[in-house]
Amino acid sequence: MSGRQWRQLGKGLAFVSPWLAGFCLFMALPIGMSLYYSLCDYSLLKGPLFVGLENYAELIWRRDPLGRVGDPVFYQSLWNTMRYAAMALPAGMLVSLGLALLLNAGIGGQSIYRTIIFLPSLVPVVASAMLWMWLFRADPKQGLINGVLEMLGVTGPSWLADKTWAMPSLALMSLWGVGHTVVIYLAGLQDVPRELYEAAEIDGAGLWRRLWHVTIPMISPVIFFNLVMGIIGTLQVFAVPYIMTGGGPERTTYFFTMYLYDNAFNYLKMGHASAMAWIQLVLILLLTGAAFWSSRRWVHYQGK
Amino acid sequence: MFRRVARFVVLMVLAAGAAAALLHRPKHDVRPAPGAVVVTYWEKWTGDEGAQMEQIVGEFNDTVGRHKGIFVQYLSVSNVNQKTLVATAAGVPPDVAGVWDGQIAQFAAMDALEPLDDLAAEHGITEALYKPVYWRACHYEGRLWGLISTPACVALHYNKRIFQECADALRAAGLDPDRPPRTLEELDRYAAVLDRKRPGTDRWDRYGYLPMEPGWFLVHTAYWFGGSIYDEAAGRFTLTDEPVVRAYEWIRSYSLKLGRGSMMEFVDSRGAYASPQNAFLVGTVAMQQQGPWMANTIESHRPAMNRWKFGAGLSRPEKLAEEVKLSSEERRANYEWGAAPFPSVGGEIVTYAGFDVLVIPRGARHKREAFEFIAYINRADVQEKLCSLHCKNTMLRSVSDEYIRNHPNPYIEVFETMASSPAARGIPPIPIWPEVDAEMAQVAQKVYLLTQEPRAALEEAQLRLQAKLDQFNRRQQQRRTREASR
Repeated sequence: MSGRQWRQLGKGLAFVSPWLAGFCLFMALPIGMSLYYSLCDYSLLKGPLFVGLENYAELIWRRDPLGRVGDPVFYQSLWNTMRYAAMALPAGMLVSLGLALLLNAGIGGQSIYRTIIFLPSLVPVVASAMLWMWLFRADPKQGLINGVLEMLGVTGPSWLADKTWAMPSLALMSLWGVGHTVVIYLAGLQDVPRELYEAAEIDGAGLWRRLWHVTIPMISPVIFFNLVMGIIGTLQVFAVPYIMTGGGPERTTYFFTMYLYDNAFNYLKMGHASAMAWIQLVLILLLTGAAFWSSRRWVHYQGK
Repeated sequence: MFRRVARFVVLMVLAAGAAAALLHRPKHDVRPAPGAVVVTYWEKWTGDEGAQMEQIVGEFNDTVGRHKGIFVQYLSVSNVNQKTLVATAAGVPPDVAGVWDGQIAQFAAMDALEPLDDLAAEHGITEALYKPVYWRACHYEGRLWGLISTPACVALHYNKRIFQECADALRAAGLDPDRPPRTLEELDRYAAVLDRKRPGTDRWDRYGYLPMEPGWFLVHTAYWFGGSIYDEAAGRFTLTDEPVVRAYEWIRSYSLKLGRGSMMEFVDSRGAYASPQNAFLVGTVAMQQQGPWMANTIESHRPAMNRWKFGAGLSRPEKLAEEVKLSSEERRANYEWGAAPFPSVGGEIVTYAGFDVLVIPRGARHKREAFEFIAYINRADVQEKLCSLHCKNTMLRSVSDEYIRNHPNPYIEVFETMASSPAARGIPPIPIWPEVDAEMAQVAQKVYLLTQEPRAALEEAQLRLQAKLDQFNRRQQQRRTREASR
């Protein structure tokens, strides 16, 4: 490099140095430290005690006092998280895509409907959780859902206190916040060239064929984006179950992040919590990697 | 014209703001005097309790603080236990932190606290001042780690109005509607009579008693059955001991009687504790375990229950002024509810005695000054005042007649007596208490939702918790060995 180029590099680095310093100090260093702490017994107050892979062993493969492989609460929280992801992710994507398609249909008052659908996403999580707790109340005199069901002659369940219904209830409630996804879908839908629909129509394609052969392939990058964000989001769900069920009944809605939080801040087992955080990272990477791998078969980018 | 009007409106708003600020200015000094040592005090309380503690802090600053050059700065902090710990680890702890009894063993074992034995002795704060149950619970491994701000204990609360409405049925069952149950067997019989179904449906609309309402003390249920979940001397859990198993079988008996569906529906639909929908306040539950603060909760959310016979139109101070003139019995008759020791198997007066505790985190900068404040809170007159404001009993061995007479809870004597009982029990000194609490909550859920037999659930919990405690102790030992070898 010439002297001028070195000077330019120096200037460039000087300009990005606040960000670089911030990244190293507040991201890279804590991430590195958490990896080290995951190999320690650490309660914040006393120096970390190196225990090797003990934390991982306890969580994943060592038999517990009852002879079960790994920590049963860890596996239960993992299973709950996966169950929730399997319910909330497809449901959220389908509902938001359906709403976006309806909003894109060119009906009058579109902006009003768009606002109405987006509005719930602006309600703070705590407020919407409290609202849904009231809706889900088992007593038909108090809970709106069971009140309506009773009017129809159906006895509603104890939505949040019954092991069978607690998880589906949380998944149902997650649909409340699909506004953001709808807006992203809507932007994708409005980018689909009109000529493609016209050509399909001339070829005799009906509504369903136009959707399947034109709309879906054309917005597949948007679907892919929402899928990846959804995977990350559902695997990190915390606030809503923390408020609505506290993980109950009998830990059926106790999520991975809740157990991680309890380990870190209630039980002061930072080493355990760090190990869980790394396991979560690996899981998210694996699932996102799988989504990227599969995307080669079904995501179509314009211009490729 | 518009600009002139706008200017006038802005001026008026500013003037109103200034007037409001002047009217509502703090009654106590909010700034330290020059040269005063500022003691930072983190506390969990907000709302009324926060304001009442701030009042006490202000009085300290105006009196002892002014004299000794100490200024206590009160700060309400959510999740105060977690934040205190993080701040302590970071080397910038508050000088005083108000945490819960369950944290004493946990924090002390983690070396997060300053021991207070010497400072307490210097200030003349000894066992002689405290009720034994509270003094014991402030200790861990023989050392004093905190002193109490406000204690409490648990009693049976019963709805006298419901008892009277069901008087005939109670008498028919051989029970007295004019008094609370005195044995556990009687409690079950009272509860069975008071249970009621909504007309024309299969749903219960009133429960005589439900162990899970409010359910805060389920982990301590074994105390009333003559047992405990932990043997302090041996350092071992005792979850499979017969009294503990019997306690959980008793919890289960209510689910068997009322049905699993009813338990789920109740848990799902009950109103929040601090709300007018509270199950005891609306009469959905006729008897429950609660602390002395219940009188305040009722006053805030259903004041009519504190004005059963007279005082309907009176404010609280006016009503209390009227009640001071009455005998204890006459005063209690004005309350729609009553409080009595929760029945126990052996017939002794048993209670769980819990408390809020003031600690000095390790590394606090102004330890001595912080303790001046803690000692002030432990002064008999201050303790009586604070506990009256918070509607709790005191940790004092003896209290004044004035305190009893003016206390907002007409049953405060019952609570003072219960906390003084030799059979009063505090929280077990277990350094992994939060894990114990979480695990035992699971046992309780499995039992009252009839998912698992009590004995099986307790056996599992015993193995899991003992393994966790053993591991904790092993690692503590490893640390000590490492430190010794350095």
